[in-house]
Amino acid sequence: MVIVIALSLMYNNINMALWSAQRKELIILSNLEYDVVVIGAGNGGLAAAATTAQKGLKTLLIEQHNLPGGFASSFVRGRFEFEPSLHELCDVGRGDTLGGAGVFFESIGLDVDWLDVPDAYRMIVTGEEKLDVTMPFGVEAYADKMEELVPGSRASVADFLELCKQVVEGLGYIGASKGNPDKKVLTTTHANFLKTASHSLDEVEKALKIPKEARKILNAYWCYIGVDTSRVNFTIFAAMMYKFISGGAVIPKNRSHEISMAFEKCIRELGGDIMYSTKVEKILVEDGQATGVLTSDGRQISAKHVIANVSRHKVYSSMLEGSDDMNRELNARNVGAKGYVAYFGLNKTAQELGLKDYSYFIYPTTDTKKLYDSMSSRESEPILAAVCLNNVNPGCSPEGTCIVSITTLYTGDSWDDVDEQSYVKDKNTIAKKMVDYFERTLGVKISDAIEEFEVASPQTFARYTDVYDGCIYGYEPESWDSIMPRLMMINDLHVKGLRFCGGFAFRCHGYGTSYLSGNTTGLLTYRDSLEVTS
Amino acid sequence: MSDQLKVKVKALGLLDLLAFKNLVPNRKKIFEKASAAPVEKVPHMNALAQSIHPKRQTFEITGIKDCPNDVKIYELKSKHAAFFRAGQYLSVKLDIKGYKVTRAYSILSSPKEALTGKCALGIKGSGFVSEYIADNWKVGDTITTSGPEGAFYYEELRDAKTVVGIAGGCGISPLYSMAQAIVDGTEDFKLVLLYGSRTKKDIVLEAELREIVSKSNGKVKVVHVLSEQEAKGCETGFVTKELISKYGGELPYSIFMCGPQEMYDFVQKEIEELGLEKKYVRAELYGQINNIQEYDKFPSEKEGRKYKMTILAAGKTFETLASSTESVLVAIERAKVAAPSLCRTGECGFCRSRLISGDVFIPEDTDGRRAADKQSGYIHPCASFPVSDIVIEVPVE
Repeated sequence: MVIVIALSLMYNNINMALWSAQRKELIILSNLEYDVVVIGAGNGGLAAAATTAQKGLKTLLIEQHNLPGGFASSFVRGRFEFEPSLHELCDVGRGDTLGGAGVFFESIGLDVDWLDVPDAYRMIVTGEEKLDVTMPFGVEAYADKMEELVPGSRASVADFLELCKQVVEGLGYIGASKGNPDKKVLTTTHANFLKTASHSLDEVEKALKIPKEARKILNAYWCYIGVDTSRVNFTIFAAMMYKFISGGAVIPKNRSHEISMAFEKCIRELGGDIMYSTKVEKILVEDGQATGVLTSDGRQISAKHVIANVSRHKVYSSMLEGSDDMNRELNARNVGAKGYVAYFGLNKTAQELGLKDYSYFIYPTTDTKKLYDSMSSRESEPILAAVCLNNVNPGCSPEGTCIVSITTLYTGDSWDDVDEQSYVKDKNTIAKKMVDYFERTLGVKISDAIEEFEVASPQTFARYTDVYDGCIYGYEPESWDSIMPRLMMINDLHVKGLRFCGGFAFRCHGYGTSYLSGNTTGLLTYRDSLEVTS
Repeated sequence: MSDQLKVKVKALGLLDLLAFKNLVPNRKKIFEKASAAPVEKVPHMNALAQSIHPKRQTFEITGIKDCPNDVKIYELKSKHAAFFRAGQYLSVKLDIKGYKVTRAYSILSSPKEALTGKCALGIKGSGFVSEYIADNWKVGDTITTSGPEGAFYYEELRDAKTVVGIAGGCGISPLYSMAQAIVDGTEDFKLVLLYGSRTKKDIVLEAELREIVSKSNGKVKVVHVLSEQEAKGCETGFVTKELISKYGGELPYSIFMCGPQEMYDFVQKEIEELGLEKKYVRAELYGQINNIQEYDKFPSEKEGRKYKMTILAAGKTFETLASSTESVLVAIERAKVAAPSLCRTGECGFCRSRLISGDVFIPEDTDGRRAADKQSGYIHPCASFPVSDIVIEVPVE
């Protein structure tokens, strides 16, 4: 039904004297019935919506913010456009050697201008241990470099990387088998994947007898997961490690907002709809089956399938009726690290400042347990993961300038004493400490070149994405709650038709994994839809 | 066995297969043992986000004070006023005979006062909306605003220890807030305020400024710069580079300016000759562009033209006429369509909308869009001007 109301109106304006306009209002009662509603246009939600739309399901993606991406975004201050969160994206690949994420991107026609990250990382350990190493991408090159740094380590490090490769293959097999793996294939071809699935990273490194000094360097990526090596599950670390080292990493030319906008374009071209600035208040359920969602502007949208790119904590505390069992599950799991990023638009070039590398890990010690524990207090010397964007993307800021961002992590109640009055001071205290530590460690000076400065604190991440308590990762992937047990329980649906994707979901967190989790969840939802109709 | 198994994970064995099988039962057991207490619905970081950045605030007008030159100070009170950074603004939301419009006004009061729910805005009654406010707002009325917005505030890590504030007319508001914040200890920097007025009697808040200076322990200095009068203790003329360096002292100092566009046009040229790094010069946004036809690159043949504009909003379609010399946002407001907006100068991106078809003119110096948005046809309607028929999708308010 279309109602046409024609109105003419007079309007007095200060600049244009009297001015009249004709306004015609066409009210189209939109069809608010979809096959799939995806809640949240973060990396997982974008990927899920693109997947279900591609499969021909009538898809609606609903996002509470006014732009897509969640953390994959950008913001402008003065003459700088900052990258809020992405350091490097692995598993994309180029040409004939596409990674898992790369294959998915190609399958939906995602158009992004990628730039290659040259080295894996530069890791600097201050304090008594004193370490400063730059590790290359490439399995052979990485093992060679390790041998150079820690003589006698090559064989065990090569074994480690081989084992990581087998984990990636094992996960690939589980994925390809669509949740129904052949037991025989698993226990023969993927035996090592199986064997290691219940172990921590430390346990596997010890079993392989990797020299202690080599382990320190191997473990550098631990902060991308945010759980110390005695607790982090080997499978999840191995998959990430291998994807980085074997396939390298990329970043998009126009910050990660470019990826999110490319997804938006794909979703629209594949026939999906998107609503921004719209919040989902409730997920509607009848007799244990999802029937749709209720939005903040009072619209009821029906759909048999709902994909939540939202944590279970948020869904079961706000969008659905909770239960004792669900509360137990939520309380058992550890919500991962909160993010803190300081962004600097500097009025000198990276070269002038003496910043030669792209990615820096700066740690006060290599003891990851100590580092993890230090994240529970804002007073600690922060662990730093810093990026100088111009060293991969020279055109990212105006001539004569560069962009540096420095990230650290916090856990638990470390920010609970911050109130609105103390907030600015509290967040800037950390930034000052970071700048000081960064300058001391690298022997550079950035503090007098700061033209633009911004901080994304846990509060900021909560503000823009509504993420639970400012967490930028998902649930901590200890072995008992890592990718394999989560995967094996993926069809234990508490509400029929409701599935989860994104950093809090079954694939654990990370940029590439969130895209893939959205893709998988989209495919599972497509399969569900076939079962519903048949 | 394939060569897949050439890596021997010696310390691991058959028990590991059992452990693999047990991953799910174990996980369920861990779930079962945990507390059944409900988790926090709004944990601290989300609660803090809501209190620092509320989407909306409502205030009661508790007092209206007349100042020179049609400036009025509105004293506001709320149950909870968000704490802010001295220099930030509130975007006032108004419904004027069905037209849903916004205007950004700098907060005049100190952040500390917000802790008791108090806030004040200084508004000069010129322009369609401000005149409406001057004629209609009464003590006891309730008004709706945004949360505190904008990035015109002192930043310790970035700015010099001394700030030369340059204010013209009603542009005193954000700098007045900063001066108070220095006195009450919220901010810690030295402020030298060069405040331009025509004559002595045109000065807004003169007595109040004198009191702030006396309480500031030498941290706040105010110099009145009168353009049409010579007076004792005041400078005469405009804010020139000589005046700035006379009062700014040793380089580097930061310059924060807020005033009408004509002031910027003059002062910015003066500042260029001071040899200050760009990082030390900040200007508050001066409101929406009202003279787009005077911009160099504006296609002059489009001046005065009107175009058909189709607006998609919240599942509805509206058609209206839009003038090339008014922003797309103003045209949306004229059509009585509710659309989000805050800064109205292209910077904040709150009105970000998808241009489905047609062309707009966007002045370079107010193009605050993200690079990827420029590539994918998104615009900030408040700083975009139609130069053809256009179809635009605006987010729901």
